[in-house]
Amino acid sequence: MSAAEPSLRSSLTGLAFIAIPVAAIVIFLFYPAALTIIGTIVHGRPGGGFDVSFKSYIFFFTDPYSLNNLARTLWTTFVALALELAINLPIAIYMRFTRGPLSAVIQGLALFPMFVPGIIICYALIRYLGPHGWLQSLLALVGINDYASPYLTPWGPVIGLLWDGMPLTLLTLISGLSGISDASVEAARDVGASKLRIFVSIILPQITHSLMIASALNFLGFFGQALMPFMLGPTSPEMMGPFMLRTFASVRDPLQASTQATITFLICSLAGLAYVRSIARRPKEDRT
Amino acid sequence: MQMKRRDFLKLSAVGGLGLALPAGSVRMAAAAPNVIDIFFNSDTNVIDFWTQTVKPGFEAAHPGVTLNLVPAVGAAMNALADRSMAAFQAKKDPQVDILEAALPFYPPGSLEAGLWIDFSKAGLSNYSKLNPVSILSPAMLPYRGSQVVLLFNSDKVKSVPTTFPALVEWIKANPGQFTYARPDLGDSGACFIERALQEVTGNKPELFQPDNYSPATADPMFAKLWPLLKDIQPALFKGGEYTSGNTASIQLLASGAISMTVAWSDMALQAINQGVVPPTTDVGQLQDLAFSGGFSGLVIPTVAANRDIALKLADYVISPDIQNHVVEDLGGFPSIEWQYMAKELQERFAKVAPKSIPVFPANWEPPLFEAWYRNVASNIQR
Repeated sequence: MSAAEPSLRSSLTGLAFIAIPVAAIVIFLFYPAALTIIGTIVHGRPGGGFDVSFKSYIFFFTDPYSLNNLARTLWTTFVALALELAINLPIAIYMRFTRGPLSAVIQGLALFPMFVPGIIICYALIRYLGPHGWLQSLLALVGINDYASPYLTPWGPVIGLLWDGMPLTLLTLISGLSGISDASVEAARDVGASKLRIFVSIILPQITHSLMIASALNFLGFFGQALMPFMLGPTSPEMMGPFMLRTFASVRDPLQASTQATITFLICSLAGLAYVRSIARRPKEDRT
Repeated sequence: MQMKRRDFLKLSAVGGLGLALPAGSVRMAAAAPNVIDIFFNSDTNVIDFWTQTVKPGFEAAHPGVTLNLVPAVGAAMNALADRSMAAFQAKKDPQVDILEAALPFYPPGSLEAGLWIDFSKAGLSNYSKLNPVSILSPAMLPYRGSQVVLLFNSDKVKSVPTTFPALVEWIKANPGQFTYARPDLGDSGACFIERALQEVTGNKPELFQPDNYSPATADPMFAKLWPLLKDIQPALFKGGEYTSGNTASIQLLASGAISMTVAWSDMALQAINQGVVPPTTDVGQLQDLAFSGGFSGLVIPTVAANRDIALKLADYVISPDIQNHVVEDLGGFPSIEWQYMAKELQERFAKVAPKSIPVFPANWEPPLFEAWYRNVASNIQR
């Protein structure tokens, strides 16, 4: 029996195990997606035969309305992403290095959004942050009367997305932080390193992967969002999610909707690439 | 286990996830005999109405028949229509007997292919009673109408405008106190801009017909509309913010952020009855030319397994008995002529019963709404 045989057999078994999910992804995801993308470039001629043209893309990139929507989507995504990390990183660090009932309560609160459907959040946020909502009433009680509700402004969807992305971000960051040994932090503290120094030199380098993964996943989630911008955001410019939905269902222009979807897909695939690279590179670095 | 899986597939189709599954790819068991699957594209008040009035009455008259009422809104309805079309082409049972508040124009070409039953030739005993203005297509059986009304807080709106110019004047005189929903969402906002379009084209609703849309006809008319809508924009809520639908509009009114909006008559009456809005809330209608409305109807695939019973049900729904309930219980308009309605209702509604509800044809809407987003909504200064 050669040494290669068992490893060949086990790799075949492994392939068999992943064959079904991979086939499902190909059949239900890649095949229809490829058809859609090809459909935006190859157009059937009425008399038979095909034309290859990029006219729907030329329309998109010369149409100020579509470009405004794309710009608004990028703005919302990056602003929400930056705020998401800025808010969640301190919470994650606190939860990693603190034990006790308060930390458990904070963890429960932070993961709570995971269990609430988005549409309920939207209506709750409208009631809370909206005009004449609870927040405005509370502020009025303490004498602050110039509250301007973010409802129906570009900040509305940002707030909704922050809420929505919080559990995922926290879980990813906490799992990254859990890899940092207490000993290394204590050792640094013993030699007199400041909290900032510990954060920059010990914590940050070890959670780069987690930050990348959290950023990539949130980017995907935020960029394609339809519900939050639709319920909480302004009428115009629209984010790509509601824009695609409207172009498909209300304008009844499947070609332009597919084009918007393809552009969205290409931008999101950059984030997907960053994510895949981040998780693929990790074991290699761990080995060296 | 088998049952659970089928339920799951059904549910996922209803939830719109079914869009991902090609309709023909999942082999479904045949529909149960005498169980009529009716999918609703309407709010819960309509499903309540069916549960409390239509279902018990029809089941009592037809022993052994069960009505299965399933909520399925928006994209899910399209998925069901797609499924019906796929089943029609494959000559299989679509497991769809009736679609409520659906139009027979989706998927494109389905009407011409003969997917939907032509009610004018289906031999319904009550068909001749239908009010001709309520019939949009012979493949859709209208059974309830509703109309857009002004919904306002009578504490703040002392004299409600009764003409469109007066409404415009009120909006400008009370900045921030009025708004309407985006036209593609919930349709009450659509009726507002359509009424404005009728205003700038001389109050002639007959200009807009299902068969006369062309960009050449429409674009010059639309061009007259934008100045009016842009003119009132700065006086709308937050200098031109439009809500994301009927419920959001009613919510803004309920919170006191605005004093007046447009809403569907049945939703407005329900909001008032349930106390969602302040008790001083009232409804009004323009007297020069009313806001348009529309009729919701039933469509039945020709390949429906329970087609014959479904047709009996369709006939029952437009019977004078049920139509009286549509007016009394649902706050809707009857789709049959008023002469067939109960005497007492005829008298009670003599003054408010519209001789016709102006209907804005659906095929004019996609280009109008798209142009609204580009010309009105995108010019907001931020």
